[in-house]
Amino acid sequence: MAKVDLTIEICGMSGDGTIAAGGILNEAMSRAGLSVLAFDSYPAEIRGFGRCVTLSRIGSEEMRALSDKAHVLISLDDKESQSRVPFLVKNGTVLFDNKPASYVPENESIAAHVDPEVRLFGMPFSDLAASASGSTKGRNLAALGGFAALFKFPPDVFREVIKKKFGAKGEKVLDANVRSFDAGYQYALETFRDRILKTISLPEKGEQAERTLISGSEAVARGALDAGLKLYFGYPITPATTIMEYLAQALPAKGGRVVQMEDEISSIGAVLGSFFAGQRAMTATSGPGFALMTELITHGVMSETPAVIIDAQRGGPATGLPTKTEQSDLHAAVFGGPGDSARIVLAPTNVLECYQCTVNSFQLAEKYQTPVIVLSDFFLNNRVENVRLPLLSREDRTNRNVYPEESARGKYRRYQITDSGISPRAIPGVEDFLFNATGLEHTEKGTPDYSSENHQKMTEKRHRKIQGALKDLPEPVEFSSGRTMDVGVIAWGSTFGSALEAVLEAQREGLKVGGLKVMSLFPYHTEAIRTFMRKCKDILIPELNYEGQLANLIGHLHGKDVLRLNRTTGMPMASRLILDKVKAMIGVK
Amino acid sequence: MSEEHFIVIGNGPAGHNAAVTLRLEAPGARITLISKEPHGCYRPHLLPNWIAGDIKEEALYVCPVENYKNMAIKLRSGQKVVALNLGQSELILDHKEVLRFSGLVIAVGGKPRIPEPLLTFKDLMLTLKTLEDARTWKDEIARVDSVLMMGGDLTSLAVTKALLSLGKKVHFMINEDAFWPLRWNPVLFEEMSHRLSQKGVEVLADQRMKGIKRKGERDYEIQIGRQTVRVGMIGAFFGLTPDVRFLAGSGLRLDRGILVDEYLNTGFKGVYATGDCAQIYYPALRDYWVSVGHDNAVELGRTAALNLVGNTVKAEAAGKCIFEVQGIKVNTSWWTEF
Repeated sequence: MAKVDLTIEICGMSGDGTIAAGGILNEAMSRAGLSVLAFDSYPAEIRGFGRCVTLSRIGSEEMRALSDKAHVLISLDDKESQSRVPFLVKNGTVLFDNKPASYVPENESIAAHVDPEVRLFGMPFSDLAASASGSTKGRNLAALGGFAALFKFPPDVFREVIKKKFGAKGEKVLDANVRSFDAGYQYALETFRDRILKTISLPEKGEQAERTLISGSEAVARGALDAGLKLYFGYPITPATTIMEYLAQALPAKGGRVVQMEDEISSIGAVLGSFFAGQRAMTATSGPGFALMTELITHGVMSETPAVIIDAQRGGPATGLPTKTEQSDLHAAVFGGPGDSARIVLAPTNVLECYQCTVNSFQLAEKYQTPVIVLSDFFLNNRVENVRLPLLSREDRTNRNVYPEESARGKYRRYQITDSGISPRAIPGVEDFLFNATGLEHTEKGTPDYSSENHQKMTEKRHRKIQGALKDLPEPVEFSSGRTMDVGVIAWGSTFGSALEAVLEAQREGLKVGGLKVMSLFPYHTEAIRTFMRKCKDILIPELNYEGQLANLIGHLHGKDVLRLNRTTGMPMASRLILDKVKAMIGVK
Repeated sequence: MSEEHFIVIGNGPAGHNAAVTLRLEAPGARITLISKEPHGCYRPHLLPNWIAGDIKEEALYVCPVENYKNMAIKLRSGQKVVALNLGQSELILDHKEVLRFSGLVIAVGGKPRIPEPLLTFKDLMLTLKTLEDARTWKDEIARVDSVLMMGGDLTSLAVTKALLSLGKKVHFMINEDAFWPLRWNPVLFEEMSHRLSQKGVEVLADQRMKGIKRKGERDYEIQIGRQTVRVGMIGAFFGLTPDVRFLAGSGLRLDRGILVDEYLNTGFKGVYATGDCAQIYYPALRDYWVSVGHDNAVELGRTAALNLVGNTVKAEAAGKCIFEVQGIKVNTSWWTEF
């Protein structure tokens, strides 16, 4: 099949059905066998205010990042869409409603703002939906019909997805939506028959990989379920709420429970309690909620109690930007809380890794008896990708708890000093394995002890344990073109996809550039990172935060200053930005 | 003080030159150029050369579209004016956007004309007016061996030349309509038939088309007199008619085109028409006259713009431009007798 790489943007006001249309589009593309990476951006308010944008990048190959330029803009609200015009490629395509309810003054139509090269396709979205279904509600589907016709995309695929989405709402609703779609499709076929655009090339049936279209949040939830989650405790907060919503449906069916707590403090407390009692539990939150959890996270560190915490980062500080993405909780995740409270922090870089990191986090938490924080972000949680979820191996399902030997009966030391720092952990209720669990510094038996010698010994033990976990943590992955490089790009979280795309493009252009993916943020693989850095003349660390939090964490390994590329726009970082920076560092245009 | 806003409708040679002239003459004015075609100004008379593969597409364009931005001319391409309200100095675009103007130049050109008896077969024929039409010709020609040319305007001869250079078999129906908009002339008829035959064109002289049967994809059977011709494509070349239907009810005086005085003014202050769509009154002739051809259009576009900004320049009488077709020099006027 011919290579496909198309970015489609749908923009409207809250209530226009923008996000719903984007979801249908993504599902249709996925069903047709194309790779999909899509992301929604919407206002924090529930309805009626602000711009909604859905960005979908579809292609014949794996999509690593969103493109900063769209090929197609579907405008459901011209006023809101005007700001998206600069993000259209040259010769881009705009579908817009050319029969608004009343005449519009000059410049209020999107047609006034597009460059001359842009191909305008005006369709009466509202009229088409109204005449087909009796309501203008389906204007978003009329627009999708227009899109399908213009790109010769099989309409039946869309119809199937519409049926799936609206089937449960009854025949009348379903019929109205299918009719609206068909009206848009027919109109565009007839009206634009001389202007039909390039066909989206689809893979043959046999070529289609079996993939599931899921969001990062769903991947986290499914990872937790597959890992054997029994209890979820949480308090709603964007963008983590979608994890709880998914689990509220799915976990009870597997015999587990979802409990909405009164706040984030009680949520983390309940998670610690569950693990303490031997049951796998999880909570998910975002920056403001995470801040509330920090004291109890350090309690988990001190009492060596497992916990799994998903921090879906959003723009901060404080309540900040609830529906915008950022990577600014790294310091809080690694260092947040009182004392030397080393814990494990992982950061997935795509939807599949959201699943894998969540699965792994339970084993890590239990084996190393510590809170494990999975740092995702709004972009990762809300974006959808069609991925092939792996079947978990026996290894993945192995119980990694280290239980005390029978010989310890009656003389059990819960916090026994060991070479690995891991002390066998008894589950409460086992006779003759009694111990104190406390947030106070303690002896091997758990008895409070504030002596200098004990605190030094215990602090070393806990840190030894965490450093020892490195062997089980995902190693950095290198994408290099040679033994030495002019620039090495190190990235984490959702920014890594953009960084990798920039690195690969630079390599295609013959530049000596390499990339390094870091998923384990604490502890981190010092030697592997240092080895990569040694190969590179200069290091660039792009991040969606102002200070350069990963640069602060690992920059010292380079021996000289690393360069930082920081953005706090609330939107994912464009690979073009990284590529431009890399080229500027090398001194090429 | 209200802003000066000049709008030019149409981005053919006349409209383009009107806009550029306005930019030069009125540096402080806002200028909007509206074109229903989705690209910048091109040279329509070169379309047959492009179809033949003699020139690249870039050579068709008068300038890159970026130039409009550089000249501070707002080009709205792919947008169509559907109504004019001269009382309010407003025009309405297809998508219901209302634009106000302080001066207007209408240069919408013409659209392909199909004679009434042939309208039934309209969908089976290809015309050639726009770049999009030319694109279709280019695509289709690659898939057929033979073409029937009907009509016989100036473009038809240029296209015939292109088809011959591509090795296609050409059938050419010549009758008294053949040289429209040129006046019927037996000498020209004989000369043209002879020259076309010499080039290998099968000339179907003085024949009437009785019917077309579509036998399959790119397969047409045409009954012409007693003859049956089987071809892969049919081209219709019956000249152009002014594309002014949208102006009905606007108050402008319309005949076949927009009636204007020798200064190209429509009778409404600040509203001018120019190029193929203008029917210009020449006091010396005591009649209206329409000029066609690229050079005439360029000159008329410039004249309209100059007059809009306060000059009094008379339109040059048509006939200035001479076309050379297949070695024959022909004067160019349009459907007005001369």
